Amino acid sequence: MPEDRIYEDLTIVRRRANVVFWILAALVFFALAFYWKIQILEHQKYAGMAEANRIRMRVLAAPRGLIRDRKGVILADNRASFKVSLIRENIKDQAASYAAITRLLGIDEPTLRSRIDLHKDLQLFEPIVIVDGLGPDDVAPIESRRLEFPELVVETEPQRYYPQGTLAAHVLGYLQEQTPEEIRARPERKIRVGEMVGKTGVERQYDDILRGEDGAVYEVVDSLGRVQGEKAHSNPIQGQDVLLTIDQRLQAEAEKALEGREGVIIALDAGTGGILALASSPTYDPNRFITRFTPDEWRLLMNDALSPLENRAIRGLYAPGSIFKLVMSLGGLGFGFVTPETSVYCSGSTEIYGAVRHCWFAPGHGSMDLANAIKNSCNIYFYTLGRRMGIEKIAEAASLLGLGKATGVDLIGEKEGLVPSEEWKMKTLKTPWYPGETISVAIGQGQLQVTPLQIAAMTALIARRGAPAHPHLLKDAVAPGPADPAAPQPFNKTTFEAIIAGMWKSVNDGGTGQGARVADFDVCGKTGSTQTMSRESAARLAQAGRETKTHSWFSGFAPRDGSRIVVTVLVEFGGGGGATAAPVAGRIFEMFRQELQEK
Amino acid sequence: MMIDRRLIQEIDWILLGLILLQSLVGVVFIYSSSHVLPGAYHVRQLIWIGISLLVLILVLVIDYKFFVSLSVYFYGLMVVLLAATLGFARLVAGTKSWITLGLMQLQPSELAKIVMILIFARFFAEYKRPYLTTRVTLWALLVAGVPLLLIIAQPDLGTAMTFVAVIGGAFILAGLRRKAIVLFVLAALLVGVGGWTIALKDYQKKRVTTLINPAGDPRGSGYQVIQSKIAIGSGGFAGKGFLKGSQSQLRFLPARHTDFIFSVIGEETGFIGVFIVIVLYFALLARMFLSVNKARDRAGIYIIFTASLLIAFQFLVNILMIIGLFPVVGITLPFLSYGGSSLLASYVACGLVLNVKMRRFANV
Repeated sequence: MPEDRIYEDLTIVRRRANVVFWILAALVFFALAFYWKIQILEHQKYAGMAEANRIRMRVLAAPRGLIRDRKGVILADNRASFKVSLIRENIKDQAASYAAITRLLGIDEPTLRSRIDLHKDLQLFEPIVIVDGLGPDDVAPIESRRLEFPELVVETEPQRYYPQGTLAAHVLGYLQEQTPEEIRARPERKIRVGEMVGKTGVERQYDDILRGEDGAVYEVVDSLGRVQGEKAHSNPIQGQDVLLTIDQRLQAEAEKALEGREGVIIALDAGTGGILALASSPTYDPNRFITRFTPDEWRLLMNDALSPLENRAIRGLYAPGSIFKLVMSLGGLGFGFVTPETSVYCSGSTEIYGAVRHCWFAPGHGSMDLANAIKNSCNIYFYTLGRRMGIEKIAEAASLLGLGKATGVDLIGEKEGLVPSEEWKMKTLKTPWYPGETISVAIGQGQLQVTPLQIAAMTALIARRGAPAHPHLLKDAVAPGPADPAAPQPFNKTTFEAIIAGMWKSVNDGGTGQGARVADFDVCGKTGSTQTMSRESAARLAQAGRETKTHSWFSGFAPRDGSRIVVTVLVEFGGGGGATAAPVAGRIFEMFRQELQEK
Repeated sequence: MMIDRRLIQEIDWILLGLILLQSLVGVVFIYSSSHVLPGAYHVRQLIWIGISLLVLILVLVIDYKFFVSLSVYFYGLMVVLLAATLGFARLVAGTKSWITLGLMQLQPSELAKIVMILIFARFFAEYKRPYLTTRVTLWALLVAGVPLLLIIAQPDLGTAMTFVAVIGGAFILAGLRRKAIVLFVLAALLVGVGGWTIALKDYQKKRVTTLINPAGDPRGSGYQVIQSKIAIGSGGFAGKGFLKGSQSQLRFLPARHTDFIFSVIGEETGFIGVFIVIVLYFALLARMFLSVNKARDRAGIYIIFTASLLIAFQFLVNILMIIGLFPVVGITLPFLSYGGSSLLASYVACGLVLNVKMRRFANV
C-alpha cells in the first residue's frame, strides 16, 4: 500500500495507548461505583454524621496563680465571673438580635459589631465573647429568656480580682488582652485568643509562673448548637502562686501617706533588699481593666496629665537634690579629697568661678565639718568639695553607688537615669563641660537624673556599710551575687560610719531631717529639695505672687546599727524635703517599729 | 507562522468545549465553597481561564514538531529552574508559610510536567523497536530522574507522583518486557520501603496510615478524609442544593476550593452531579486518549498519550483521594480546582493534544 511508505507503522504503539485508556476507563467506572455506594447506599449513615458532626471546643480557662504579700495576704485573687458569647449561626433576625443584645447587656451596637468583626474568621457555630466580667444579676435577664435567644450563651470563667483595690497597683501591674499580632509573635507561649495576660508589674514579670494551663472540652453539638455529648475533656491547671516581699500594712500606710499628692514611697528590707512597700501616686484600680473591652475610663487614665499608670518609683526621673550630698561625701572621703574633720566656713554665700553661689540658709552655717554639713545640708561645703573633686570623680562615685544604671529590680520598664560627665556631654550635646556645671551637680542639680528606687538602693548600700542591696519583689528570689558582698572600692566601713554620723545628726540632732525622727528607733537620713525650674523663673513667679514649690526628698534607714528598713520618700512639688518628705518617712518608720514590737 | 483555514477546521471543537465546560463548572463550585472568604476566588479563576485559553491558542498556532525540536532547551531550562527553586525554597522555608512556599514550588514543577511530555516525544520519536532495550531504558530513566529527584527533594509528593505516572506511561508505550516490569516493581518496592523509613516526613507517613485507618486520628490528618466522605455521603442522590452544603458552608471541609472541590460538588449536587461531572470528564479523557489513532507520527502519539495520562492520572487520584481510596497527596482536580498554574499546565497539555490532532495530515 502506498500509505505505508508515507506513514510508518504505529499500530503497536496505538494499541498500547488504547489498552492503557481502557484500564483507566475501568478505574473511572470503579470510582463512580464507589460514589454510588457512599452517596446512595450509605447516605443515611453519612447524613447522620453530617448532622452530628459539629465538634465544638470550649476552653476551660485556667485561673491565674494568686499574688500574696510576705505574710500571705492575698493581693491578687480570682473570682467567678460571667461572660456572654454570641453564636452567629443561631441568629434568626440579625437586626432584631443585635437590638435585643444592646438592650439586655447595655453595650452599644458599634462596639458589638466591631467585636464580632474581630473574630469573623471563626466558624459560624463557634461562640464569640461579646461581654465579660458580669455578675450573676447582670446575666439573669438572659438566663430567664434562654429560649428566646438561642444565639446567646452564658458561661462562667475565672477572672482576676484585686481584693485590696488600688493597693500596690504599680507593683502588681494589670492585665490586658493580647492583640492577634502579639499572640502570633510568640507562639511558644500558647496564649489563647481573648486571654488576659500581664501587661505591667508583677503580673507581667512573672506571667509565665502565674499563667496556668487551659483545659478544654470537645463537645458535639447539633445544628442548633445543643450539646449532644462530650468527646474529650481536660481540666485546667491553675497557675502557681507568687509570694512577694511586700508588707501589705506598710504598703497601705505608704499609700495613705501619699493620698492627694504625686510622689513615691519606697520601703526596703535593709537585710535582704526585698521591697516592703512601693507606692506611686496617683494610682489606679487594676480591677477596672480586667475586661476584654476598653472602657472610657481607661482612655481617661492613659491621657491623664498626672500619668497615674506610670510607676514613678522606677520610671520617674528626678534630680536628687541634696540627697546627692551623700554621694559627694562618700566620694570626697573615699577618694581622699576631705577627711571627716576637714571644715569649710559657710557665710551664706560664696564666689566660685566668678559667680556668687548661695547657701539655702542665708545667714550662713558657720564652720562646718562633714557630719555637720550633712546634718545641715550646707551648700557651701559641697560647692567647695565639688570644685575639689571635679566632675569625673563625682561621676565615678555616683556610678559606684549605683546611679545612672538600672537597679535590676524585677519590674519591667525600669529607667536608668543619668550621671553627667565630660564625655557624656561631648557625645550628646557636642559641647565641652563647664566647671560651673560641676558646682550644680555637687548639690544634686544640673543634668543629674535618678529614679526613687536608685536612691532607695543607694541608701540601703549605705545602711549596709557598703554591701550592695538588690531591690526585688519576689520573696523566694535568690539574691544575685555573693550573700555578703564587699563594699565597692575605695569605700570602706569607716567612710560609711562618717557619713552615717551626719545622717543621724540630720534626724536626731536638730538637722534638716528631724521630721523623720522616731523615738527609740535611731533613724538616719538625708533630705533633699530639688528645684524644678531655674532660679530666675522661680523669682519671677514669686514676684507674681505664685508659690513655687520644689520636689521634696527624704531617704534614710533605721536603726543606725543593724538597720532593718530603708525608706525613700519623694513628694512632687512638696516643698522643702525637711518639711514634707521627712515627716512622711517618719510615719513609715514608726509603723514599721510598731510592727517589729508586735512580733 | 500563519494558521491555515483548513487547520482551524481541523480543531477538535468538541474537546475544547468539554474543557471549557469543566472549567466553568469549577468556577461555580469555587464560588460556592469560597464566597464566604475574602479574595473573590471565582473571579480570579475566571481570569486564569482567560489567560490559559490565550496560551492554548498560542500553543495551537505553532506546529508541535517545533516544540519537540526545542524540547532539549526546555529541559535544560527546567532543570535549572527546579534547582533554583529548591535552593530558594530552602532559604525561605523557615519564614514563609507552606501556602506561599507551595505557590513558589508549584510554578516550575507544573511547567516541568509539560516539558516531560515534549522531551519523551523527542526521545522516542525515532524509536521503532517493539520493546525497550536496557540501554535506552537507562537513558530514559536518567532523563526523567534528574527533574524527578529535584521535585521529590522539594518535597512535593503529589507532583512527583504525577511525574512518575507520566514517565511510566511513556515507558509502557515504548514497550516494557515482562522481565523489566518485574524489575521495576521490585525497585519500586525497595524505594518505597527505603523511602518510608528514611525520606518520608512524618506528615507524609501519617497520610498513608490515615488511608488505612482514617478514624485513628479524627482531628488530625484523618480529619480531611472523614469530613470529605461525610460531605459526599450526606449529599445523597440529589444533593443539598447549591450553597446549601453544611459541610462546605460551615467550613468543616479543608482546602475545599482547591483539592477538595469535588467534595463540594458531591455534597451540594449529590450523585446526579457527581455522575454528570464524571461522565463529562470521561468523555473529555476519551476524546483526548483516542486522538492517538489520529496522530500522524510517533512523536504525536507520545504527546497525546502522555498529555492525556497527565490529566487522567490527576483526575483519578483526586476523585479517589477525597473518598478515602488514595492517600491525601495534594493533587488537584484539573480544570475544576482553584489554582492558576495547575489550570495553565492542564490547558497547555490539552493544547498540545489539539495541536497534534489538527495537524494529522502530513502535507499541511
